[in-house]
Amino acid sequence: MRDENQLHAAVVELVAMDDAQIKYSTVQNWYPGDAAGRGGIYNFVTKRGICKGARSKISWTQVETGSAITWKYPSCVLLGEDSVGEFYSVAVTTNRQQADTGTKMIHIGKNSRSTIVSKGISAGRSNNTYRGLVRILGQAGGARNHTQCDSLLIGDQCGAHTVPYIESRNPTAKVEHEATTSKIGDDQLFYCRQRGLSEEDAVNLIVNGFCKEVLKELPMEFAVEAQKLLAVSLEGSVG
Amino acid sequence: MLEISGLTATIDGKQILNGIDLIVPTGEVHAIMGPNGSGKSTLSYVLSGREGYEVTGGTAQFDGKDLLAMTPEQRAATGLFLAFQYPVELPGVNNANFLRVALNAQRRARGESELDAIQFLKLARAETKRLSMPDDMLKRNVNVGFSGGEKKRNEVLQMAILRPRLAILDETDSGLDIDALKIVADGVNALRGPAFSALVITHYQRLLDHIVPDRVHVLAGGRIIRSGGPELAQELEANGYAGMVAEAA
Repeated sequence: MRDENQLHAAVVELVAMDDAQIKYSTVQNWYPGDAAGRGGIYNFVTKRGICKGARSKISWTQVETGSAITWKYPSCVLLGEDSVGEFYSVAVTTNRQQADTGTKMIHIGKNSRSTIVSKGISAGRSNNTYRGLVRILGQAGGARNHTQCDSLLIGDQCGAHTVPYIESRNPTAKVEHEATTSKIGDDQLFYCRQRGLSEEDAVNLIVNGFCKEVLKELPMEFAVEAQKLLAVSLEGSVG
Repeated sequence: MLEISGLTATIDGKQILNGIDLIVPTGEVHAIMGPNGSGKSTLSYVLSGREGYEVTGGTAQFDGKDLLAMTPEQRAATGLFLAFQYPVELPGVNNANFLRVALNAQRRARGESELDAIQFLKLARAETKRLSMPDDMLKRNVNVGFSGGEKKRNEVLQMAILRPRLAILDETDSGLDIDALKIVADGVNALRGPAFSALVITHYQRLLDHIVPDRVHVLAGGRIIRSGGPELAQELEANGYAGMVAEAA
């Protein structure tokens, strides 16, 4: 039973009217399969939102630690004037997991704004991909987007990939994309251990620091859960 | 008391330490001076347990405990602190949180009670103030965006909060202006007492004007070639290492 794969295919749709705000937070820890990549959930999820009204706002926050394969792109159609879309994501992959996740921000309304913050952590022999679309339509004058994609690698057999698509049809739009890739270094681990932390505590501290911008977007109870989940997910991934 | 006897070590098969004999009695501050490549940093890494250094012979004991058999974090809990020559950056990890986790990990290992956030902040703020460092030092991420001098001062702040029984300062004075040098020296001097010892590794005599050592040892070619009182540092400053190294060879 555990050697087989199961499918999770959920659909979530959000609609925000004038001045409405929706914040949708997910912490996901489906069975990821064993160390050799046998079994686990296929998490193929449709999540989409539309900011229909003026000044409406949709904010997606996700912490993805489970599933053998995750394909998930929570999106926002920013139709209303001055509407706001946000996407905050932490995705952790270990062993043979694959996460391919990101967002779509479709700017239609004037002065619509979007923010994307994606933190990918890969360990073991896993692959972690950010795939995102920012599309500015012709009528979306003054639209703005800021995207930040950071990847953290643990070990030397994992992969981090960043695939941003940016399409702008309006000359007044401003789109920014920043991406970084870093590795937990031996020197960082030794520094922490010299101060008294175990190797595992050191990894947790560094990973939590790396995800801080996203974790602070979660409701309080979730944030505590998410921190613990990160620690459990990465147990034994170093050394 | 730190007792090192016949210590030899290699990196990538290359012998760096060639038989170090050194005793630092409790309560004393000893300086280790030597030219580049003499093995000063290697000694500090071997004592603190960094990976990549292979001990091929000899012993190192601290208060009768075999340091070389312990993990780096066990050595820290025993009271060994290394002030790094190049302090490492930890993005997103704030200094106060880092130090609280570190201090509590050490206290747990020693069977002492942990400090809660409020007790810890009180202690950390008092030490920050005592060392005349700005309060935001605690709020900033560990060494991220710090100038060279600020990083070294942060090492001293960490040392003041963690209260080690044996501090090893690995060229903590390099790249410091005179004001920062004084802060570092004051930090070490404030810890001096019957239960504290330190090994101050330095190139120059300058730091030893402010931290007056009980003994000075000259390290060259991976062994200690001379030991003496503080006047030895002055002799080195005046004559350089070359003569002394040639004499010992």
